[in-house]
Amino acid sequence: MSSSRYPVYFVLPAIALYIIFFIIPSISGIAYSFTDWSSYSDEINYVGWQNFQKIFSPSERYLTYIWNTLVFTGLTIVLKTVFGLGLALLLNEGVRRFVNLYRVLIYLPAILPTLVVALIFRSILNPATGLLNNVLRFVGLDALALRWLVDPHIAMLSVVAVDTWKGIGYIMVILLAGLQTIPRDYYEAAQIDGANAWSRFRYITLPLLMPAIMVVTVLNVLYGLRVFDIVYALTNGGPGYATEVISTEIFKAFSKGQYGLGTAVSSILFVILLVAGYFVIRLLERDRNKEEAS
Amino acid sequence: MRKHVLAGGLAVAMAALATAPGQAQEPVTLTYLTSQGWSLDAHQALAEKFKQETGITIDTQIVPADQYASVLKAKLNSGEGPDIFGSQSGGTEFLNYNVEKNAVDLSGEAWAKLEDPLVAAQATVNGKLYGLTFWDSLGLVWVVNYSKPIFAKYGLTVPKTYEDLKGTCKTLLDNGIQPIFEPFSNGWHHVLWFAEVGPRYEQLQPGLAAELNANKATFAGNEAMRANLTQFKELYDLGCMGPNALSDSWADNTKMLGTGAAAMVVAPLAFPMAVKRDYPDFNPDDVGFFVMPLSDNQILNVNPAGPTMLIYKNSPHIAEAKKYFDFLTRPENIQFFLDNAPEALTMPFPNVKDKFSPAQKAFMEAYKDNRGTVYQTAVTYVVPQWMDMGKDITALVTEAMSPDDVLDSVDKRRSELAAAARDPAWK
Repeated sequence: MSSSRYPVYFVLPAIALYIIFFIIPSISGIAYSFTDWSSYSDEINYVGWQNFQKIFSPSERYLTYIWNTLVFTGLTIVLKTVFGLGLALLLNEGVRRFVNLYRVLIYLPAILPTLVVALIFRSILNPATGLLNNVLRFVGLDALALRWLVDPHIAMLSVVAVDTWKGIGYIMVILLAGLQTIPRDYYEAAQIDGANAWSRFRYITLPLLMPAIMVVTVLNVLYGLRVFDIVYALTNGGPGYATEVISTEIFKAFSKGQYGLGTAVSSILFVILLVAGYFVIRLLERDRNKEEAS
Repeated sequence: MRKHVLAGGLAVAMAALATAPGQAQEPVTLTYLTSQGWSLDAHQALAEKFKQETGITIDTQIVPADQYASVLKAKLNSGEGPDIFGSQSGGTEFLNYNVEKNAVDLSGEAWAKLEDPLVAAQATVNGKLYGLTFWDSLGLVWVVNYSKPIFAKYGLTVPKTYEDLKGTCKTLLDNGIQPIFEPFSNGWHHVLWFAEVGPRYEQLQPGLAAELNANKATFAGNEAMRANLTQFKELYDLGCMGPNALSDSWADNTKMLGTGAAAMVVAPLAFPMAVKRDYPDFNPDDVGFFVMPLSDNQILNVNPAGPTMLIYKNSPHIAEAKKYFDFLTRPENIQFFLDNAPEALTMPFPNVKDKFSPAQKAFMEAYKDNRGTVYQTAVTYVVPQWMDMGKDITALVTEAMSPDDVLDSVDKRRSELAAAARDPAWK
């Protein structure tokens, strides 16, 4: 087929739309991060790197928020992928009855609105009246009845746990679809060769599932770094500033009318996303290429 | 320029729509965005009465207090404000919402001349009145409400110093009673212990508020403020606020005193009536009052500012919103509110029949010559950062910040707000 069937200018409308709605807003966002744009004044002045200096100043808390975001992302990637894969394997091979029912039940939290999930868990995790602590106390595990969302040492872990509970079904569905594309012949051949369950998982399932794992990792990285709603609704960044993440801070800066500062924090998030996304894809692609080569 | 063209186009389109012939009158609904705690049952009842009388519905949208400022500012800044919005009066909170740009000037309204001048002054910016304070800001003083029977049972007297309060707490703790109910989870209540004690800071350093407003003094380094925060943390550490203070919610306030689950609650003077409303067997006379004795404070904290309703400048229903304010400020409706709001003791309008009990009257009388304005009203740029201060104080009790960090943080946010507002004192 000739590549010159259509003239080049046919692509112009699409490029124009892309430039107008994606490229220009992104670049102007970055440009605004070098200004003192705020809701208090119509004047916008160029302030150089002032906003970025403030963000990276040790006397501010922004570095902690960036760290919290990275911790949240790292933990949710591992937990969602491990548990999602475990459940996908169970539903693909282990469970024989009511498979579709289980799939729906596990997927259900993913379609619940985050605010609803957060409200429910705020109630469940209430240290005095919450269901979880009441159950723990009832079975005599009083020591485990912790102050889940209000103890600064474990609040972030509680948020991660709730987010994992909510997001696991989505990850499971992608991995399950990946598992179902692996031909059964490979497993049968491996079994004849005497491979045990772990070997079959390690040398057949895992390599052939790499494309799906790559997809969920990229999705989890992008989601984790941009996380907002679950943190906002569960703890609003508290207790104190213990669970504050980049996006809640961007929201706060914008809602305080500090647009210049808000866009500067957004720009940093953009760079982190860009770098993280690039390296995750490169890393996983390299692993896949290595597997294919061997 | 482009903005002007766009705005002009929109205005023409709106005018064309408004004057289009043959259009049936749609029933009007006014959206009223307010913070949790600012819309009482009596407000809702009046909104219903207004609907019956005029056919105009008031759609009250209540936002949790810790998210209110963010939500409202996001709406105002995106040009999609509600028809009516709530704000604490007092210059700096109004500055936070840029009322000169976002709210309608109400100076010419009939009720504006009747409102108590002290209260109206808090809703006035550059000589223009921007809000209706339909709230008891004169009788509403935040004091420690304590259970007289519990105090009597353990031979306790009213604490007049911090050491007295600490001793009281220890006695109650030893007897298995939670001394103070302090709900941190709403994000605003625990800040009262710091800002409402402002008159004490002023007493120890006369002219401090004026110096702070002129940028000639700072919160950091103020001994009385540091003592306040240190003492508050000590009370928390001792367990005086109960094991679940960080997750306790203000919604449980009447329950705590009504059921005797806690001995003290910082609440308005009218609080005993609110407890009686929820617990009919409760005797309001069983509640006594004392001022918050942190930093050894013995001055009554008065705040003429309060939750205030403003009309959004770009609302398509300004006339209807003004009509609602006219309706609210009719004498019979003011009295209706007062009679039906247990939280209110009086209203900032003439000829109302107040509800002070003999005990409340006696309390107010005792402090007649010993009162001062709270710091969120006396000092600029405190109210807009109220929730941030709440986070700081939560960080303080959870060991993430020191008292000095909290005070530094308050100064820093004041500077940022002042710089953004181009305050000449900060230049």
